Amino acid sequence: MTSTPTNQQQPNAGATGWAGIRAFVRERWDLVTLVVLAVAPLVVPALGGALGGQVTTLFIYCILALGLNVMVGYTGLVHLGIASFFGIGAYLMAILTVPMYPFQIGFLAATIVSVLATAGIGLALGAPTLRLRGDYLAIVTLGFGEVVKVTLRNLEQITGGMKGLNPVPPPGAGVKIAGIDLGLAFAIDPRWFYYLSLLALAGVVVAMRRLEQSRLGRAWVAVREDELAASAMGISATRVKLSAFAMSSAVAGLAGCLYAASLSTTADPNAYDFNRSIMVLCAVILGGLGSIPGTILGVAILVGFDTVLAPWADSWIQQMNINPSGSSLLSFSGWRLAIFGLALVLVMRYRPEGLVPSRRLAAELHEDHA
Amino acid sequence: MLEVENIEAGYGPIRALDGVSLHVAAGELVAIIGANGAGKTTLLMAISGVVPIRSGQVRFEGRPVTGLAPHEIVRLGIGHSPEGRRIFPRLSVRENLELGGFTRSDRAEMRRDIDEVCGLFPVLGSRMGQMGGTLSGGEQQMLALGRALVGRPRLLLLDEPSLGLAPLVVAKIFEVIAGLSARGIAVVLVEQNARAALKLASRGYVLETGRITLSGSGTELAHDHRVRDAYLGEG
Repeated sequence: MTSTPTNQQQPNAGATGWAGIRAFVRERWDLVTLVVLAVAPLVVPALGGALGGQVTTLFIYCILALGLNVMVGYTGLVHLGIASFFGIGAYLMAILTVPMYPFQIGFLAATIVSVLATAGIGLALGAPTLRLRGDYLAIVTLGFGEVVKVTLRNLEQITGGMKGLNPVPPPGAGVKIAGIDLGLAFAIDPRWFYYLSLLALAGVVVAMRRLEQSRLGRAWVAVREDELAASAMGISATRVKLSAFAMSSAVAGLAGCLYAASLSTTADPNAYDFNRSIMVLCAVILGGLGSIPGTILGVAILVGFDTVLAPWADSWIQQMNINPSGSSLLSFSGWRLAIFGLALVLVMRYRPEGLVPSRRLAAELHEDHA
Repeated sequence: MLEVENIEAGYGPIRALDGVSLHVAAGELVAIIGANGAGKTTLLMAISGVVPIRSGQVRFEGRPVTGLAPHEIVRLGIGHSPEGRRIFPRLSVRENLELGGFTRSDRAEMRRDIDEVCGLFPVLGSRMGQMGGTLSGGEQQMLALGRALVGRPRLLLLDEPSLGLAPLVVAKIFEVIAGLSARGIAVVLVEQNARAALKLASRGYVLETGRITLSGSGTELAHDHRVRDAYLGEG
């Protein structure tokens, strides 16, 4: 995800030598990734600049994609409007903290309220659509996403229309620790947000792992596999699907809160449009439906290309003066959609279960080899 | 234990059950035989709440269950092993069995029950980590039956457990079904294999286009000339 060299700076795993370290990395890749990401800002100076903000955005998209994965991956419900919940989370964060509103309840309280509220809105969308599956659910969620976007745009008195809401204060604004204003620290050094969103991502990953093993997680998968059989096991498909809606929406809302706070604005409503939903969905599918590491890798590749690699390559092209006419044919950003499409086609052709498949899907799609 | 009184159910304009009544005593094995489309599967699905009942009443242990959701009916002690086995193909054998005990909170005892199922069907015990979908048809049926048993039902609805299976496997499955009464589990067995079902059952019903046309003890029905003509291929 970052340019950090991998395990050289790991604390030695013991006297087992190089092979032992490799085995440890393979076994606990999650821990290793976390440590690498946690150490990176201390050794890579670029993360103190614009790159730090870009990687923060990447972490936030990982959270969003993990939320979507609850519905699409675990429960098998197609959702084409996840960005609307991302947007609702961002706008709620803004409404609860910006100076133009009387609430100004601060980052933490606003996050809690927004997450609960997005869960509630998820339930409200889920309840009337429970009997829909597949294409029909896809259309409803797509429509919901558009409705939210247009509402955010046209409800100017509340949402600021195309200008969005700003400035969203950074977390800890006004809180002083050892004489340093925490909010100021967040505003000046992107590494604060880097760590905050990394912490949130790690928390979401841990929560998702526990959910996978929980009764609820099993019930999600059972409903995806066979709704009738699941109800014959005593599982209420209604309740299970509603909980997936609520969980997905809540996690997307959390991502939205972090997003608005890290940008210090909600940006304009187009930031939460259909394209955004599709990009996140593509990332989940590319990485592997129902797979936590797959989802994170999918985001790292697709969103990473979009927000980190393409801008970097473009500025390089500009510096080298390769493209003096400014033709979009010679810019990476101009090719991004083509590259997304190609990546998806190639993955679907050669690895339909995704890059890091969940154990189950791999078994299903390669039954003939089993 | 189970009383079904004059129930009607169907799909849209089609009336699949047209006033069906039957009863099952505790620990009793009751067979329901009939041709394709007679309403056998619909009858089981109406009892378990999957298909809504339009009129009539179903009582389980004296308590009306009509109108309850399927998952609520399961919790009362009515297990349903639906037609076509319906195991979870992408879950392991162990996970399938554990989902059978979804309503239970006593995990340690559930583990014991899973071990017991593996005692009944040793082949399942040797495939615990394998995906359900990779099992053979017979093994899937064993898994479906085992999964239903882990839920500790007092009444088990079995829909076509012998469908499409090799004779040896059918014999094994029926042997286990026959043993359920001894464990105090009442069974409603829907079967196309009428001969085997009637041999096993203490009582039986014949279902024809949504109505019960005959009923009696298993041996009575097996010797009834109408049953022999229509369902035992001895006409």
